[in-house]
Amino acid sequence: PVSRRPEHRRETARFWRENRAEAALRERCLVPADEYERFAQALEQALAEHQRREEERILQMAADIREAERRQRETVRAALQVEPELCAGPSVFRLPAGPERDSPCGAEEPGPSRMQTGPDLAWMESSKVLTFIGHQETEGKGNVHTGAKPPWLTEEEDGSKQIGPSYEEFLKHKEKQKLKKLPVERVGANFDHTSQTSDSWLPSFGRVWNHGRRWQSRHQFRTESGEKKKK
Amino acid sequence: MSFLLPKLTCKREVDQAIKSVAEKVLVLRFGRDSDAVCLQLDDILAKTAHDLSKMAVIYLVDVNNVPVYTQYFDISYIPSTVFFFNGQHMKVDYGSPDHTKFVGSFKTKQDFIDLIEVIYRGAMRGKLIVRSPIDPNNIPKYDLLYQGI
Repeated sequence: PVSRRPEHRRETARFWRENRAEAALRERCLVPADEYERFAQALEQALAEHQRREEERILQMAADIREAERRQRETVRAALQVEPELCAGPSVFRLPAGPERDSPCGAEEPGPSRMQTGPDLAWMESSKVLTFIGHQETEGKGNVHTGAKPPWLTEEEDGSKQIGPSYEEFLKHKEKQKLKKLPVERVGANFDHTSQTSDSWLPSFGRVWNHGRRWQSRHQFRTESGEKKKK
Repeated sequence: MSFLLPKLTCKREVDQAIKSVAEKVLVLRFGRDSDAVCLQLDDILAKTAHDLSKMAVIYLVDVNNVPVYTQYFDISYIPSTVFFFNGQHMKVDYGSPDHTKFVGSFKTKQDFIDLIEVIYRGAMRGKLIVRSPIDPNNIPKYDLLYQGI
Protein backbone atom coordinates (compact mmCIF):
# COMPACT_ATOMS: atom_id res chain seq x y z
CA PRO A 1 0.00 0.00 0.00
CA VAL A 2 2.76 2.40 0.89
CA SER A 3 4.71 1.66 -2.27
CA ARG A 4 1.79 2.68 -4.35
CA ARG A 5 1.83 6.17 -3.14
CA PRO A 6 4.97 7.50 -4.83
CA GLU A 7 3.99 5.91 -8.11
CA HIS A 8 0.55 7.39 -7.81
CA ARG A 9 2.09 10.80 -7.19
CA ARG A 10 4.36 10.48 -10.18
CA GLU A 11 1.58 9.43 -12.52
CA THR A 12 -0.68 12.21 -11.31
CA ALA A 13 2.06 14.73 -11.84
CA ARG A 14 2.68 13.41 -15.34
CA PHE A 15 -0.97 13.54 -16.18
CA TRP A 16 -1.17 17.09 -14.93
CA ARG A 17 1.81 18.09 -16.97
CA GLU A 18 0.56 16.44 -20.14
CA ASN A 19 -2.90 17.86 -19.95
CA ARG A 20 -1.76 21.17 -18.49
CA ALA A 21 -4.37 21.11 -15.78
CA GLU A 22 -4.42 23.47 -12.85
CA ALA A 23 -1.72 22.55 -10.37
CA ALA A 24 -3.92 23.50 -7.46
CA LEU A 25 -6.37 20.77 -8.30
CA ARG A 26 -3.71 18.10 -8.35
CA GLU A 27 -3.31 17.84 -4.64
CA ARG A 28 -6.97 17.38 -4.18
CA CYS A 29 -7.02 14.58 -6.74
CA LEU A 30 -4.41 12.47 -5.05
CA VAL A 31 -6.04 9.41 -3.55
CA PRO A 32 -4.59 8.33 -0.20
CA ALA A 33 -3.64 4.67 0.04
CA ASP A 34 -6.18 3.65 2.64
CA GLU A 35 -8.98 5.24 0.68
CA TYR A 36 -7.86 3.24 -2.28
CA GLU A 37 -7.89 0.03 -0.23
CA ARG A 38 -11.36 0.76 0.96
CA PHE A 39 -12.47 1.35 -2.61
CA ALA A 40 -10.95 -1.92 -3.81
CA GLN A 41 -12.70 -3.91 -1.13
CA ALA A 42 -16.02 -2.25 -1.70
CA LEU A 43 -15.69 -2.97 -5.38
CA GLU A 44 -15.10 -6.64 -4.78
CA GLN A 45 -18.09 -6.85 -2.52
CA ALA A 46 -20.34 -5.03 -4.95
CA LEU A 47 -19.22 -7.27 -7.79
CA ALA A 48 -19.87 -10.44 -5.80
CA GLU A 49 -23.28 -9.14 -4.83
CA HIS A 50 -24.15 -8.32 -8.41
CA GLN A 51 -23.09 -11.73 -9.65
CA ARG A 52 -25.17 -13.39 -6.99
CA ARG A 53 -28.21 -11.39 -7.97
CA GLU A 54 -27.78 -12.21 -11.67
CA GLU A 55 -27.50 -15.92 -11.00
CA GLU A 56 -30.61 -15.82 -8.90
CA ARG A 57 -32.48 -14.08 -11.69
CA ILE A 58 -31.37 -16.63 -14.28
CA LEU A 59 -32.37 -19.52 -12.06
CA GLN A 60 -35.77 -17.96 -11.56
CA MET A 61 -36.26 -17.56 -15.33
CA ALA A 62 -35.26 -21.18 -15.88
CA ALA A 63 -37.76 -22.30 -13.29
CA ASP A 64 -40.50 -20.25 -14.95
CA ILE A 65 -39.74 -21.76 -18.36
CA ARG A 66 -39.78 -25.26 -16.93
CA GLU A 67 -43.11 -24.59 -15.30
CA ALA A 68 -44.59 -23.25 -18.54
CA GLU A 69 -43.35 -26.26 -20.50
CA ARG A 70 -44.85 -28.61 -17.96
CA ARG A 71 -48.21 -26.90 -18.27
CA GLN A 72 -48.00 -27.04 -22.06
CA ARG A 73 -47.26 -30.75 -22.05
CA GLU A 74 -50.20 -31.42 -19.79
CA THR A 75 -52.53 -29.43 -21.99
CA VAL A 76 -51.40 -31.26 -25.11
CA ARG A 77 -51.76 -34.62 -23.41
CA ALA A 78 -55.23 -33.80 -22.18
CA ALA A 79 -56.30 -32.54 -25.58
CA LEU A 80 -54.92 -35.57 -27.41
CA GLN A 81 -56.88 -37.83 -25.13
CA VAL A 82 -60.09 -36.12 -26.16
CA GLU A 83 -59.29 -35.83 -29.88
CA PRO A 84 -59.35 -39.54 -30.84
CA GLU A 85 -62.84 -39.75 -29.32
CA LEU A 86 -64.03 -36.85 -31.43
CA CYS A 87 -62.51 -38.15 -34.64
CA ALA A 88 -64.18 -41.51 -34.29
CA GLY A 89 -67.52 -39.73 -33.87
CA PRO A 90 -68.47 -38.72 -37.43
CA SER A 91 -68.27 -42.17 -38.92
CA VAL A 92 -70.81 -43.46 -36.40
CA PHE A 93 -74.45 -42.27 -36.11
CA ARG A 94 -74.47 -38.79 -34.64
CA LEU A 95 -77.49 -38.92 -32.33
CA PRO A 96 -76.42 -41.53 -29.78
CA ALA A 97 -72.85 -40.35 -29.80
CA GLY A 98 -73.87 -36.71 -29.29
CA PRO A 99 -74.44 -36.55 -25.54
CA GLU A 100 -71.38 -38.57 -24.66
CA ARG A 101 -69.18 -36.35 -26.77
CA ASP A 102 -70.43 -33.19 -25.16
CA SER A 103 -69.13 -34.06 -21.71
CA PRO A 104 -65.45 -34.49 -22.64
CA CYS A 105 -65.77 -31.42 -24.79
CA GLY A 106 -67.18 -29.41 -21.92
CA ALA A 107 -64.61 -30.68 -19.45
CA GLU A 108 -61.73 -29.83 -21.72
CA GLU A 109 -62.79 -26.31 -22.51
CA PRO A 110 -61.77 -24.56 -19.28
CA GLY A 111 -58.31 -26.10 -19.54
CA PRO A 112 -57.14 -25.10 -22.99
CA SER A 113 -58.83 -21.73 -23.05
CA ARG A 114 -57.10 -20.73 -19.84
CA MET A 115 -53.65 -21.33 -21.21
CA GLN A 116 -52.12 -18.71 -23.42
CA THR A 117 -48.86 -20.55 -23.79
CA GLY A 118 -50.41 -23.89 -24.77
CA PRO A 119 -51.68 -24.66 -28.28
CA ASP A 120 -55.07 -23.08 -28.97
CA LEU A 121 -57.11 -26.25 -29.48
CA ALA A 122 -60.14 -24.67 -27.82
CA TRP A 123 -61.02 -23.18 -31.22
CA MET A 124 -61.36 -26.55 -32.85
CA GLU A 125 -62.89 -28.32 -29.87
CA SER A 126 -65.65 -25.85 -29.14
CA SER A 127 -66.48 -25.18 -32.79
CA LYS A 128 -68.21 -28.53 -33.09
CA VAL A 129 -67.50 -31.50 -35.23
CA LEU A 130 -68.13 -31.06 -38.94
CA THR A 131 -71.52 -32.11 -40.20
CA PHE A 132 -71.34 -35.35 -42.11
CA ILE A 133 -73.73 -35.55 -45.06
CA GLY A 134 -73.10 -39.09 -46.16
CA HIS A 135 -70.78 -40.81 -48.56
CA GLN A 136 -71.29 -39.58 -52.07
CA GLU A 137 -72.14 -42.65 -54.12
CA THR A 138 -71.76 -41.81 -57.77
CA GLU A 139 -72.86 -45.19 -59.16
CA GLY A 140 -69.92 -45.57 -61.41
CA LYS A 141 -70.07 -42.07 -62.88
CA GLY A 142 -66.79 -40.93 -61.37
CA ASN A 143 -65.91 -37.78 -59.45
CA VAL A 144 -63.12 -35.23 -59.13
CA HIS A 145 -60.74 -37.77 -57.62
CA THR A 146 -61.14 -40.19 -60.51
CA GLY A 147 -60.77 -37.45 -63.10
CA ALA A 148 -64.32 -37.62 -64.46
CA LYS A 149 -65.75 -34.88 -66.69
CA PRO A 150 -66.70 -31.86 -64.56
CA PRO A 151 -70.41 -30.92 -64.45
CA TRP A 152 -69.81 -27.44 -65.85
CA LEU A 153 -68.42 -28.90 -69.03
CA THR A 154 -71.29 -31.34 -69.56
CA GLU A 155 -73.85 -29.32 -71.50
CA GLU A 156 -76.84 -31.44 -72.35
CA GLU A 157 -79.74 -29.80 -70.57
CA ASP A 158 -79.54 -26.33 -72.09
CA GLY A 159 -82.41 -26.41 -74.58
CA SER A 160 -82.49 -22.64 -75.07
CA LYS A 161 -79.05 -22.59 -76.67
CA GLN A 162 -79.49 -22.53 -80.42
CA ILE A 163 -76.81 -23.20 -82.97
CA GLY A 164 -76.03 -20.06 -85.00
CA PRO A 165 -76.15 -16.30 -84.36
CA SER A 166 -78.86 -14.57 -82.36
CA TYR A 167 -81.22 -11.84 -83.59
CA GLU A 168 -78.96 -8.94 -82.46
CA GLU A 169 -76.03 -10.45 -84.27
CA PHE A 170 -78.16 -10.71 -87.41
CA LEU A 171 -79.00 -7.00 -87.27
CA LYS A 172 -75.35 -6.10 -86.86
CA HIS A 173 -74.55 -8.24 -89.85
CA LYS A 174 -77.08 -6.36 -91.97
CA GLU A 175 -75.46 -3.02 -91.02
CA LYS A 176 -72.06 -4.30 -92.03
CA GLN A 177 -73.45 -5.34 -95.39
CA LYS A 178 -74.61 -1.77 -95.98
CA LEU A 179 -71.13 -0.47 -95.27
CA LYS A 180 -69.69 -2.71 -97.95
CA LYS A 181 -71.59 -0.76 -100.62
CA LEU A 182 -69.68 2.46 -99.87
CA PRO A 183 -66.50 3.35 -101.87
CA VAL A 184 -63.49 1.47 -100.56
CA GLU A 185 -61.05 4.42 -100.88
CA ARG A 186 -63.06 6.83 -98.73
CA VAL A 187 -61.44 8.47 -95.78
CA GLY A 188 -61.68 6.39 -92.64
CA ALA A 189 -62.67 3.18 -94.43
CA ASN A 190 -60.06 1.26 -92.45
CA PHE A 191 -60.93 2.92 -89.15
CA ASP A 192 -60.50 0.47 -86.30
CA HIS A 193 -63.61 0.90 -84.15
CA THR A 194 -62.42 -1.56 -81.55
CA SER A 195 -59.23 0.29 -80.62
CA GLN A 196 -59.14 1.58 -77.04
CA THR A 197 -58.66 5.27 -76.40
CA SER A 198 -57.55 6.75 -73.13
CA ASP A 199 -58.61 10.06 -71.62
CA SER A 200 -55.58 11.87 -72.95
CA TRP A 201 -56.09 11.00 -76.62
CA LEU A 202 -56.43 14.65 -77.71
CA PRO A 203 -53.01 16.09 -78.58
CA SER A 204 -53.94 19.74 -77.92
CA PHE A 205 -53.58 21.07 -74.42
CA GLY A 206 -55.63 24.16 -74.90
CA ARG A 207 -52.86 26.73 -74.31
CA VAL A 208 -53.35 29.07 -77.27
CA TRP A 209 -51.56 32.25 -76.23
CA ASN A 210 -48.47 30.67 -74.74
CA HIS A 211 -44.95 31.45 -75.66
CA GLY A 212 -42.41 28.85 -74.87
CA ARG A 213 -42.09 25.22 -75.71
CA ARG A 214 -44.81 22.72 -76.34
CA TRP A 215 -43.81 20.45 -73.52
CA GLN A 216 -44.34 23.26 -71.05
CA SER A 217 -47.97 23.56 -71.94
CA ARG A 218 -48.24 19.79 -71.93
CA HIS A 219 -46.67 19.68 -68.48
CA GLN A 220 -49.07 22.35 -67.30
CA PHE A 221 -52.04 20.49 -68.70
CA ARG A 222 -51.00 17.25 -67.11
CA THR A 223 -50.46 18.79 -63.71
CA GLU A 224 -53.85 20.38 -63.82
CA SER A 225 -55.57 17.23 -64.92
CA GLY A 226 -53.96 15.42 -62.05
CA GLU A 227 -52.20 12.72 -63.99
CA LYS A 228 -48.52 13.22 -64.45
CA LYS A 229 -46.95 10.23 -66.06
CA LYS A 230 -43.64 11.89 -66.87
CA LYS A 231 -41.85 14.18 -64.46
CA MET B 1 -74.43 -13.89 -42.26
CA SER B 2 -75.35 -15.93 -45.29
CA PHE B 3 -77.86 -13.32 -46.41
CA LEU B 4 -75.00 -10.98 -47.23
CA LEU B 5 -73.42 -13.26 -49.80
CA PRO B 6 -74.93 -14.17 -53.19
CA LYS B 7 -76.29 -17.67 -53.58
CA LEU B 8 -76.45 -20.12 -56.46
CA THR B 9 -79.49 -22.34 -56.42
CA CYS B 10 -79.21 -24.76 -59.33
CA LYS B 11 -76.66 -26.57 -61.43
CA ARG B 12 -77.07 -24.16 -64.32
CA GLU B 13 -76.23 -21.18 -62.13
CA VAL B 14 -73.16 -22.90 -60.80
CA ASP B 15 -72.09 -23.75 -64.35
CA GLN B 16 -72.64 -20.14 -65.34
CA ALA B 17 -70.57 -18.86 -62.45
CA ILE B 18 -67.68 -21.20 -63.18
CA LYS B 19 -67.63 -20.38 -66.87
CA SER B 20 -68.19 -16.64 -66.66
CA VAL B 21 -66.09 -15.39 -63.72
CA ALA B 22 -62.91 -14.15 -65.35
CA GLU B 23 -59.50 -13.18 -63.94
CA LYS B 24 -60.65 -13.65 -60.35
CA VAL B 25 -60.67 -16.57 -57.95
CA LEU B 26 -64.16 -18.10 -57.74
CA VAL B 27 -64.98 -19.33 -54.23
CA LEU B 28 -67.92 -21.75 -53.91
CA ARG B 29 -68.96 -22.63 -50.38
CA PHE B 30 -70.91 -25.92 -50.41
CA GLY B 31 -72.94 -26.38 -47.24
CA ARG B 32 -76.18 -25.46 -45.54
CA ASP B 33 -77.10 -22.01 -44.28
CA SER B 34 -78.33 -23.38 -40.98
CA ASP B 35 -75.30 -25.48 -40.10
CA ALA B 36 -73.18 -24.20 -37.23
CA VAL B 37 -69.78 -24.45 -38.84
CA CYS B 38 -71.19 -23.08 -42.10
CA LEU B 39 -72.38 -20.05 -40.18
CA GLN B 40 -68.88 -19.47 -38.86
CA LEU B 41 -67.38 -19.82 -42.31
CA ASP B 42 -70.05 -17.64 -43.93
CA ASP B 43 -69.27 -14.97 -41.36
CA ILE B 44 -65.62 -14.94 -42.35
CA LEU B 45 -66.51 -14.99 -46.05
CA ALA B 46 -68.95 -12.11 -45.69
CA LYS B 47 -66.53 -9.97 -43.72
CA THR B 48 -63.66 -10.41 -46.14
CA ALA B 49 -65.64 -10.36 -49.38
CA HIS B 50 -65.35 -6.62 -49.84
CA ASP B 51 -61.61 -6.44 -49.24
CA LEU B 52 -61.02 -9.35 -51.58
CA SER B 53 -63.40 -8.08 -54.25
CA LYS B 54 -60.58 -7.38 -56.70
CA MET B 55 -59.17 -10.88 -56.38
CA ALA B 56 -62.12 -13.11 -55.60
CA VAL B 57 -65.83 -13.66 -56.13
CA ILE B 58 -67.67 -15.63 -53.44
CA TYR B 59 -70.91 -17.62 -53.78
CA LEU B 60 -72.81 -19.88 -51.40
CA VAL B 61 -74.29 -23.16 -52.65
CA ASP B 62 -76.68 -25.38 -50.72
CA VAL B 63 -75.61 -29.00 -51.08
CA ASN B 64 -79.22 -30.14 -51.27
CA ASN B 65 -79.82 -28.11 -54.45
CA VAL B 66 -76.92 -29.41 -56.52
CA PRO B 67 -76.57 -33.17 -56.07
CA VAL B 68 -74.47 -33.37 -59.24
CA TYR B 69 -71.81 -31.15 -57.75
CA THR B 70 -72.06 -32.70 -54.32
CA GLN B 71 -71.32 -36.05 -55.91
CA TYR B 72 -68.69 -34.78 -58.30
CA PHE B 73 -66.65 -33.10 -55.59
CA ASP B 74 -67.29 -35.98 -53.16
CA ILE B 75 -68.56 -33.60 -50.51
CA SER B 76 -69.09 -35.65 -47.36
CA TYR B 77 -68.50 -32.96 -44.75
CA ILE B 78 -69.90 -29.47 -44.77
CA PRO B 79 -68.86 -26.80 -45.24
CA SER B 80 -66.59 -27.62 -48.15
CA THR B 81 -65.11 -24.77 -50.14
CA VAL B 82 -63.95 -25.24 -53.73
CA PHE B 83 -61.79 -22.76 -55.66
CA PHE B 84 -61.74 -22.01 -59.38
CA PHE B 85 -59.85 -19.66 -61.64
CA ASN B 86 -60.96 -18.90 -65.19
CA GLY B 87 -63.08 -22.02 -65.28
CA GLN B 88 -60.29 -24.24 -63.97
CA HIS B 89 -60.59 -26.07 -60.64
CA MET B 90 -57.71 -25.00 -58.36
CA LYS B 91 -56.27 -27.54 -55.96
CA VAL B 92 -54.58 -26.56 -52.70
CA ASP B 93 -52.32 -28.62 -50.47
CA TYR B 94 -53.44 -27.82 -46.93
CA GLY B 95 -51.55 -30.65 -45.32
CA SER B 96 -54.84 -32.59 -45.23
CA PRO B 97 -55.54 -35.68 -47.39
CA ASP B 98 -57.93 -33.92 -49.78
CA HIS B 99 -56.50 -31.22 -52.04
CA THR B 100 -59.62 -30.65 -54.09
CA LYS B 101 -61.54 -28.69 -51.46
CA PHE B 102 -61.19 -26.97 -48.10
CA VAL B 103 -63.25 -28.72 -45.41
CA GLY B 104 -64.47 -26.81 -42.39
CA SER B 105 -64.08 -23.20 -41.41
CA PHE B 106 -61.07 -20.91 -41.17
CA LYS B 107 -59.71 -19.88 -37.80
CA THR B 108 -59.26 -16.23 -38.66
CA LYS B 109 -60.17 -13.89 -41.49
CA GLN B 110 -56.46 -13.45 -42.17
CA ASP B 111 -56.08 -17.16 -42.89
CA PHE B 112 -58.74 -16.95 -45.60
CA ILE B 113 -57.26 -13.77 -47.05
CA ASP B 114 -53.79 -15.32 -47.20
CA LEU B 115 -55.19 -18.42 -48.89
CA ILE B 116 -57.00 -16.39 -51.55
CA GLU B 117 -53.86 -14.40 -52.21
CA VAL B 118 -51.77 -17.54 -52.65
CA ILE B 119 -54.33 -19.08 -54.99
CA TYR B 120 -54.57 -15.88 -57.03
CA ARG B 121 -50.81 -15.56 -57.39
CA GLY B 122 -50.39 -19.23 -58.26
CA ALA B 123 -53.13 -18.99 -60.86
CA MET B 124 -51.55 -15.89 -62.41
CA ARG B 125 -48.35 -17.86 -62.78
CA GLY B 126 -50.14 -20.77 -64.39
CA LYS B 127 -50.08 -23.17 -61.44
CA LEU B 128 -53.02 -25.54 -61.03
CA ILE B 129 -52.09 -26.58 -57.49
CA VAL B 130 -50.67 -24.35 -54.76
CA ARG B 131 -49.53 -24.86 -51.19
CA SER B 132 -51.67 -23.36 -48.46
CA PRO B 133 -50.05 -20.67 -46.32
CA ILE B 134 -52.25 -21.55 -43.34
CA ASP B 135 -50.61 -23.09 -40.28
CA PRO B 136 -51.52 -26.83 -40.34
CA ASN B 137 -52.67 -26.54 -36.71
CA ASN B 138 -55.44 -24.22 -37.86
CA ILE B 139 -56.76 -26.60 -40.51
CA PRO B 140 -59.80 -28.54 -39.23
CA LYS B 141 -59.17 -32.25 -38.90
CA TYR B 142 -61.63 -34.79 -40.26
CA ASP B 143 -61.71 -38.45 -41.14
CA LEU B 144 -61.47 -39.00 -44.85
CA LEU B 145 -63.26 -42.20 -45.77
CA TYR B 146 -63.20 -42.65 -49.50
CA GLN B 147 -66.35 -44.52 -50.49
CA GLY B 148 -66.53 -46.45 -47.28
CA ILE B 149 -62.95 -47.72 -47.30
